[in-house]
Amino acid sequence: MAKGKGVLASKSVIIIPVMILLLSVGFLAYGYMQTGEWFQRSIELKGGTLITVNSPSGFSTGEITESLESAYGTIVLRELRSFSGYAMTIEVSSDVNPDDVIRTLGSLGVDVTDSSIETIGPSLGEAFWFQAQLGIVIAFIFMGIIVFGIFRTPVPSMAVMMAAVSDIIITLAMMQVFGIELSLASFAALLMLIGYSIDTDILLTTRILKTEGDLNGKIWSAFKTGITMTGTTLGVLVAILVTTSSAVLFGIASVLAIGLVIDIINTWLQNATILKWHAERRGL
Amino acid sequence: MLKYWRVWLLVVMVFASVMAIGFKTYPYGRDAVEIVYVSNDSSARGILEQGMFITNINGEKIPDIGTWNLITSGIRDRNVTLRVNGKNYEFYVNETMGIDAIDIERTNLNFGLDLRGGTRIILKPKENATKETMDQVISTLQTRANIYGLREMNFFSIRGADGDYYLQIEVAGIKRDIIDELLSAQGRFEAKISKPVEISGGSGTIQLVSESFPVTMAGNDTIMIGGMAYEQGDSFTLGGIEFEYVNATDTRLFLMGKAYDGDDIELIYSDPQRSGIMPIQGGYRFFFGVLVSPEGAQRFADITSGVQSYLDLVGGERYLESEIFLYLDEQLVSSLRISSDLGGRIVQEPQITGSRVEQEDAIQEKLRLQAILRSGELPTSLETVSVGVISPALGEEFFNSTLYAALFAAGAVIIIIFVRYRSLRISIPMVFIGLSEVVIILGISAANDAMIWLVALLINFLIVSISWWKKFEIDIYAWIGAILIPLLGMATWTIDLPAIGGIIAAIGTGVDHQIIIADETLSRRSGDKRDYTVREKIKRAFFIIFGAAATTIAAMIPLMSIGIGFVRGFAITTIVGVLAGILVTRPAYARIIEAMNKE
Repeated sequence: MAKGKGVLASKSVIIIPVMILLLSVGFLAYGYMQTGEWFQRSIELKGGTLITVNSPSGFSTGEITESLESAYGTIVLRELRSFSGYAMTIEVSSDVNPDDVIRTLGSLGVDVTDSSIETIGPSLGEAFWFQAQLGIVIAFIFMGIIVFGIFRTPVPSMAVMMAAVSDIIITLAMMQVFGIELSLASFAALLMLIGYSIDTDILLTTRILKTEGDLNGKIWSAFKTGITMTGTTLGVLVAILVTTSSAVLFGIASVLAIGLVIDIINTWLQNATILKWHAERRGL
Repeated sequence: MLKYWRVWLLVVMVFASVMAIGFKTYPYGRDAVEIVYVSNDSSARGILEQGMFITNINGEKIPDIGTWNLITSGIRDRNVTLRVNGKNYEFYVNETMGIDAIDIERTNLNFGLDLRGGTRIILKPKENATKETMDQVISTLQTRANIYGLREMNFFSIRGADGDYYLQIEVAGIKRDIIDELLSAQGRFEAKISKPVEISGGSGTIQLVSESFPVTMAGNDTIMIGGMAYEQGDSFTLGGIEFEYVNATDTRLFLMGKAYDGDDIELIYSDPQRSGIMPIQGGYRFFFGVLVSPEGAQRFADITSGVQSYLDLVGGERYLESEIFLYLDEQLVSSLRISSDLGGRIVQEPQITGSRVEQEDAIQEKLRLQAILRSGELPTSLETVSVGVISPALGEEFFNSTLYAALFAAGAVIIIIFVRYRSLRISIPMVFIGLSEVVIILGISAANDAMIWLVALLINFLIVSISWWKKFEIDIYAWIGAILIPLLGMATWTIDLPAIGGIIAAIGTGVDHQIIIADETLSRRSGDKRDYTVREKIKRAFFIIFGAAATTIAAMIPLMSIGIGFVRGFAITTIVGVLAGILVTRPAYARIIEAMNKE
């Protein structure tokens, strides 16, 4: 524990979150140069058809991919494992008739009774993508107003905002690494992350600026509370990740879980260091 | 005891939520299945409808859908007796029963299609549509759905953030091809008018406006017109009008003439002068004008020419013995009487009227007829932009796996909280508060609960008044919560998978906030220059909590309008959950912690 206290006490640790942020931006930019897209978007945000088949046993994915590609052109096939069995998602272009694909799967011996089909036309997908981009800008404007309203001082407010922005950028990069697409559900989770990110940041800032006592002690007590908070939430999310067979809930829970882990670093290494510097300068 | 008024408020709201979720009356008993679809080839078609409850088949009880499927799968080529909505119906089953049913909902929660299984289709008008156009589209499709026996198919017009209108159709537990059929239905409209022809001495005259055709009876129900013989059911053309020979008696011959089809209906008036509802003796009369083509008006005059009229003793008005029958895709949807003064006249703007005892029925019938006349010509063509199909089995699996997830999650929270505080007195209230938040969120979302929440509002008001009267501490937030949460309770929304994600997110913040309250109030920090009172510490905790809650709500607001409602459930559930948390459960938890601290 005392060791942990030591890490939090050192100001040079801010290099860790900054490096991670720079790496993430670099990774996203590399993806952009390779594919022309900053993130992989789900069919909801670009149009297309997604067929989901659930089964208690696994699938011979290689064979299925081969047969489907010969019949319908490029497809994206993913397999998801959960407590309750296996799920396979197949993404095809929105002009392919999904019923044909289901029939082909049936002829390959796949049990298609537990299946779902989702089609989004390309124009609707583009409209959703535009709305999503607008939505995140509006969310940040609202958040900025509220955060400045709470602290009334620029440095802590900016630090909190930066932590939230950095959480979202790094999480987006991690989503690319883990192959989690940006969908409406994972987008909802990203916005929710703002709320979770702010929780611990406000806790830390209030403890530092509004209570008395030794600075490192205040940060350490805030850390104990904050890590319990993040820990319980992560516990809930892990419980969902291992039990659910729903792609929607899996998407929401995995993005929140990644984001919360990132937020531990951004709150306790980056934001804490900035606030410490700020508090020392003001002689708190 | 009243010192714990905030805890009492929480108890009242949890109780109201449990009632809102679970209080349900079963008019025909709990042991029943609900009809969702009666197929075209079923002999119960037209008698039984979606939404009715089947309690008995051939004297055997039907407690659930499994029993229903088991019994009905073996029935063919025999009579069955069904007890439906308390009445017995007997009919013959040929190949299959043709009735799809589901278990009755045991709660008032509206579960989304992704948890129940079903189909959701989103359509977009090809041209720019106005709200009126969308209403017309919905009323047309609704009519078609009714004709197909899909009475509880849900249609919504939704407006995207880009200002465009979309049409969303949702049907639970129904195969997609039925919806395709519905949307692609031609909606071919025909109006036919019956024409009685007087026969005496084995012959008569079919009178049109400017022509007449002699007809003779040739025995065996055969008739002779212009040298041709026709049997019952045969069609022929006279004076440019298509007639069908329906039947004959010794004194009368019944023909059915085609007056209008969809192309003849040029306009349906809906302005107040030419369309409306008015009270008449013993009920309400609806009327609306239509503009028909000159050819159609001529055919109407020809068919009704020379038809006798009779006096309706109830209304005191005279009507022709002809009636007009409206067909959609060859199915009879309505028949209307024709006022006697219209017989044989060319009327280009006929008025369609009818009456019903209840005003609401008259309005509905008017809308239905207008929709039928419009049908076939949807005001705009629609293109499918999104289709979602979830099989009922998959929906059930999502549902069950979500229940497991909730149990695991609760277990994880209990363990982590206990490890951190090593005290059941802190962790047990925390878990109970978390659970009460889930119950309150679900209770607020439940349907048919306005009365329950009204009672809760009154009790809350009483509790708040007493606490104020007795000069207990002032807590503006708890007061707002006592009033606002029951008001929110009257709202209803769908619990779908994103909404469950929202419950998880809200509970996550809820537990976080309780940890903040516990840590702020229970810990004694060495550096403090003086002892803060518990109340001061709670105040500081609430400063942090409100800041975080306000940011969460602000982040969720843009989400409400993204993706035309796909993730609205997540946003609404999170906002309501956070509000219920800061206004109800956290004040109560703070009071519990405060009391524990004093001991």
